[in-house]
Amino acid sequence: MTKQQSIHDTSIIIVGAGFGGLGMAMRLKEKGVDDFVILERADDVGGAWRDNTYPGVACDVPSHLYSFSYMPKADWSRVFSPGGEIWSYLRDCAKKPGLVPHIHFGAELLKAEWDEASRRWLVETPQGAWRAQYLITATGVLADAHLPKIPGVQGFTGDAFHSACWDHSISLEGKRVGIVGSGASAIQIVPEVAKTASELVVFQRSAPYIVPRPDRAYSSAEKRSFERLPESMDALRSEIFWMGEYMFAQRRAVPAFVAEARDMALGHLADQISDPELRDNLTPNYVIGCKRVLIANNYYPAFNQDHVTLETSALEKVDGSTAIAVSGKEYDLDVLIFATGFEAPEPPVAHVVYGRGGVKLADQWDQGMQAYDSTAVPNFPNMFMVLGPNTGLGHHSMVYMIEAQADYILGALEHAKKHGVEVLEAKPEAEAEYLLDIEKRSKGTVWLDGGCKFWYRDPRSDRLTVLWPDFAYAFRDENGTFHPEGYSETAASTAAE
Amino acid sequence: MKDTDTMMPPLATGVVTRQIEVNGVRVTYHEAGQSNTSCPPIVMVHGSSGTTRGHFGFLFPMLAVRHRVISVDLANPVTGDDPLELEHLEAQVLAVIANAVPDQEITLLGYSLGAAIAGFTAARHPKIVCNLVLLAGWMKTDMQQLLFNRVWHELRALKSPKLDDFTVYGAFGAPFLSSKTFEDLAGGAAMPLDDFVDKQMELNSRIDIVDLVPDITATTLIIACSYDMMVPVHHSRALFGTIENARYAELASGHAVVFERPAEALRLIDLFAANPQEYPAGATLPVVRP
Ligand SMILES: Cc1cc2nc3c(=O)[nH]c(=O)nc-3n(C[C@H](O)[C@H](O)[C@H](O)COP(=O)(O)OP(=O)(O)OC[C@H]3O[C@@H](n4cnc5c(N)ncnc54)[C@H](O)[C@@H]3O)c2cc1C
Repeated sequence: MTKQQSIHDTSIIIVGAGFGGLGMAMRLKEKGVDDFVILERADDVGGAWRDNTYPGVACDVPSHLYSFSYMPKADWSRVFSPGGEIWSYLRDCAKKPGLVPHIHFGAELLKAEWDEASRRWLVETPQGAWRAQYLITATGVLADAHLPKIPGVQGFTGDAFHSACWDHSISLEGKRVGIVGSGASAIQIVPEVAKTASELVVFQRSAPYIVPRPDRAYSSAEKRSFERLPESMDALRSEIFWMGEYMFAQRRAVPAFVAEARDMALGHLADQISDPELRDNLTPNYVIGCKRVLIANNYYPAFNQDHVTLETSALEKVDGSTAIAVSGKEYDLDVLIFATGFEAPEPPVAHVVYGRGGVKLADQWDQGMQAYDSTAVPNFPNMFMVLGPNTGLGHHSMVYMIEAQADYILGALEHAKKHGVEVLEAKPEAEAEYLLDIEKRSKGTVWLDGGCKFWYRDPRSDRLTVLWPDFAYAFRDENGTFHPEGYSETAASTAAE
Repeated sequence: MKDTDTMMPPLATGVVTRQIEVNGVRVTYHEAGQSNTSCPPIVMVHGSSGTTRGHFGFLFPMLAVRHRVISVDLANPVTGDDPLELEHLEAQVLAVIANAVPDQEITLLGYSLGAAIAGFTAARHPKIVCNLVLLAGWMKTDMQQLLFNRVWHELRALKSPKLDDFTVYGAFGAPFLSSKTFEDLAGGAAMPLDDFVDKQMELNSRIDIVDLVPDITATTLIIACSYDMMVPVHHSRALFGTIENARYAELASGHAVVFERPAEALRLIDLFAANPQEYPAGATLPVVRP
């Protein structure tokens, strides 16, 4: 290898500096581990909260829960804080514990290979190569924008961009704007764009369920009492957590709770939209919870304005300045915004990681992603994934899952150190058993029985690969501590022989 | 099945509802779920003025995901001015057990008055009740409870429209209520009222199973609620001190824990029912810190 001199050696490589990568690194620091790097392809930390700067961007889980338990923030401005505030929180999370010196920006993982001889991971990036015993991926589930292949979009005469790469140089004032999609991002964007656009059309393939958003600003007195009495913040955090867990009964398809949630959503719609036809068009046609339930108070009212149009079919093609819907309706537009979500059935990183014998993760996952304890993959020794397969929640904070996985991974590293283990690799039979258990948990949930197709399921196998199909607490109870029994171990001594 | 029940969505997927006669009254019970381990079935007993639907609308179907669960709807066993006694209600619970899960050991769960019934039953039938969960339970009514009870009876006798307010005031924890509006509370917090409820409230005023509780040998989980004003935590702590094979957990909830913190209670019960010995006797269970 010619680049021999430029290989940096370290113990642990973390890929990604979003909530996942930072959360992992904070815990390493706390345990006194210093020998690690964070490789981040962009030029700042923050992940999803750095990339999503669209008007109206905010979290859907209250900030006092959607933040690290080991980095509470007393002065969140609102119950659901705006995206910019979350981004600046994440920058603090990098600064305060001293993570910044560990981070290499512009360091996109281009290829990671397990080298059998040295028992190390070799990682190539534009900033050079790194070699380490452990590889921890935290590259995000919703990190890579999904652009649907729409015929003619290349020749669109106006401006077009994805909601996660918002082009702030383009003013929407007085413009005719099309928003493609009606998911989590779209419902935050629509009310904002409606304020300035002269005309707005929303291409809705499938209507979402939307429930009220109990948002409000925190008063300075409240913020100060959180500051002065941190235990009151903990109590609030727990209250939000257990309220969120309560929602899982809907996902578990308990009839009374499905009915309660549906009534709440449809009641919200009826309260905000009086035109019966419009109301019909905004009414979903599947069981609530099957797709993500959204929360908004200002989305439906946007459609009560004359300049806002709901197109009840998807965007089919573009011809010059004309956007043509599947229904055949045509709209002349100046700007097209794709709020079409993210690449989700498997993370793009699967295409650049090669395990034992050169097997590519994406090839091993040709029937959908899977991992033992949602964290480790057979054939990929000493690799752990933060927010990998079956960690998504339809109802709750992803940070809770990240913290559970960080504990698990720390446990693995400590176990290896204590027992002189150099290589930990998930056993295929342990993974198989774990998947059976996931399948068992999935049965009877709205995701499998709710009559909707959604990216929670892998199109190739129809298996639920994205979501953790149980309470969030059950994930931490079961996957929050390392399980050595699921791993084969190679002792450090045999390496020296 | 009661008429009102048929109008409502089923309690749980695959629920079976049956009725049996116990000493001349018809008692309804519900069964759902299958245990995927060897752990005993769970039999649930609701509290004052409750039913399975009213008190266990969340716990029953969610426990049924992993356990076989049987829940009793207690019925009024006495007529006229005859007082209601724990024996009457115990008889109904035992009859349901004999019908649904004969000749088996069970995990018995009682909430509020149901916990007094469960404790009473466990003490007298140690062969049947091998595991016991006492959720917001007590063994001897004390002055603080008597005062509440007396005001309740007074408002009831006056047919006061403020009886509901008074009940809600007592049932829910102060932190929970602090963020609520009257509108939030309007939907369903009211306690159903009838003769049987009056009898249960009267029984509540003179619960005393202090002599029996030391006989409980079941592996026991006691769950207290920090903000409980109807059965304040000291009652659960007294049970914890009295029952030899007990472990203790406390939730940040009012007495209406089945509405305020049902998922947190579920977690404790689910884990305990699957592995009652996970924590040794005398242990205080750790609280989840999200
Ligand atoms: C608009 C929006 C709102 C959301 N709201 C909520 C919410 O309210 N509650 C909730 O729980 N979740 C929410 N989510 C989900 C959110 O993605 C997660 O909560 C969380 O941000 C995931 O963190 P992460 O670190 O795993 O991924 P990300 O935040 O996506 O970070 C991944 C990082 O990895 C980097 N990266 C990716 N590939 C490579 C590579 N090959 N080499 C180097 N670096 C790489 C990326 O640049 C990025 O910085 C929301 C997501 C979006 C987009």
